[in-house]
Amino acid sequence: MNIIELKNIYFEYEEGEPVLNGLDLSLGAGECLLVLGDNGSGKTTLFRVLNGLSFPSKGEYLFKGVAITADYLKDNSQTKRFHKDIGYLFQNTDTMLFNSRVYDEVAFGPRQMGLTDSEVDQRVMDCLRLFDIEALKEKVPYHLSGGQKKMVALASIMALSPEVLVLDEPFAGLDQKREASLLEFLAELKAAGKTLIIATHKEEMFKDLVDKVIRL
Amino acid sequence: MLPEWMTKTEDYAPPKDGGAFYRKTLKSLGGIMKRLKVEGGKEGRFSLPAWLKIILLLGLIILVSVVQDRLIIMACGALVLVRLAMMPAGDIWGVLKTTIFAGVFCAVLVTPAVIMDPARLSNSLRLVLKVMICVTAVGEFNRTTQWNHVTGALRKFHVPGVIIFIMDITFRYIVLLGKLMEELLTAVELRSVGRNDKKYASVGGIMGVTFLRGSEMNKEMYEAMQCRGFTDDYEGL
Repeated sequence: MNIIELKNIYFEYEEGEPVLNGLDLSLGAGECLLVLGDNGSGKTTLFRVLNGLSFPSKGEYLFKGVAITADYLKDNSQTKRFHKDIGYLFQNTDTMLFNSRVYDEVAFGPRQMGLTDSEVDQRVMDCLRLFDIEALKEKVPYHLSGGQKKMVALASIMALSPEVLVLDEPFAGLDQKREASLLEFLAELKAAGKTLIIATHKEEMFKDLVDKVIRL
Repeated sequence: MLPEWMTKTEDYAPPKDGGAFYRKTLKSLGGIMKRLKVEGGKEGRFSLPAWLKIILLLGLIILVSVVQDRLIIMACGALVLVRLAMMPAGDIWGVLKTTIFAGVFCAVLVTPAVIMDPARLSNSLRLVLKVMICVTAVGEFNRTTQWNHVTGALRKFHVPGVIIFIMDITFRYIVLLGKLMEELLTAVELRSVGRNDKKYASVGGIMGVTFLRGSEMNKEMYEAMQCRGFTDDYEGL
């Protein structure tokens, strides 16, 4: 079964031309989709639709076979399950960090999941280790560098163990070492059956990872 | 190497949490942000200079506030209404919406005083009327004066450049801070997958980050303006 299905999706803002014009897309578990396009072509809009933050003016968005609509997301419990299943890394990770310590930032999601303290701690430390940011755990996220913030934001999403990961320009602001380790992490994630949706201008970096490409 | 829990598919049932807290906050914030947008007023060919409009507006507000004579208040109200009638229909409705809101708000505030002492009804109605006249006059000024002319007029009144700068930036870019807050709230919402026992701590964090980012943006913008020749002087605008 497809995890994500977009059927004839249209989206337009109040002012201006439509940004999504009859988009069709289907993605299964373990697939990687690359979203390409110039600035302002609608990549972030598509990601907002995928995350249930905006709703298409026409067409249907199915997540695990369920239509994601404003009505569906009115139910608090369904919304929370949906957000647990799909993780979204913003293009500007500055606006994703709001806690006073990196540890608390990563623990924010797991603490709400009904896990025990030791399970939460296990998840947080695993994520910090995974992104090589253990040394930052007592630091204030706001004062970190751009690349470090990106890693903390990613760790805080992965602590929820989403099935689908939506990444908006994940390599922007990263040095080569972090780029390589992030690429390796994404390959492992794909191998584990997680679905990846990535907007990037660095198409060539994903040539071994990508299954589908759309250009907006 | 991925930890084992990350490779498994979790059958997750979210614990119950009271209310759609973030959703409501986001919604109300969006509404406020729309109203905070500083729109450029449209000035007609025979529009008075901004400095004169400021003097007239302040004079009207002071007059309406201090005067007790019903006739003078009515005259001021009529003057404001005549000015309003000369504006385009869309602007009239825009001004009236704010006036009605302010009038109702004021009426609600004075209602307990009227209930306790019905003799105060006349004074209370006068107060509501005064508020509505002042709010209408400010609305008219806002819709018929360009913001850069206002800052230019303030410079004519010898208001220090730094004060105009702070005011200008605050009004113009408060919408950016609103958007930043909205994005932070969205991030919180996306990661609020269960029961959040520390909602107010999250809101506090958002406020803190918004404040820090706001002061940083202000500094960056000032430096960028200096690089482009800004000398704290608004006279030429």
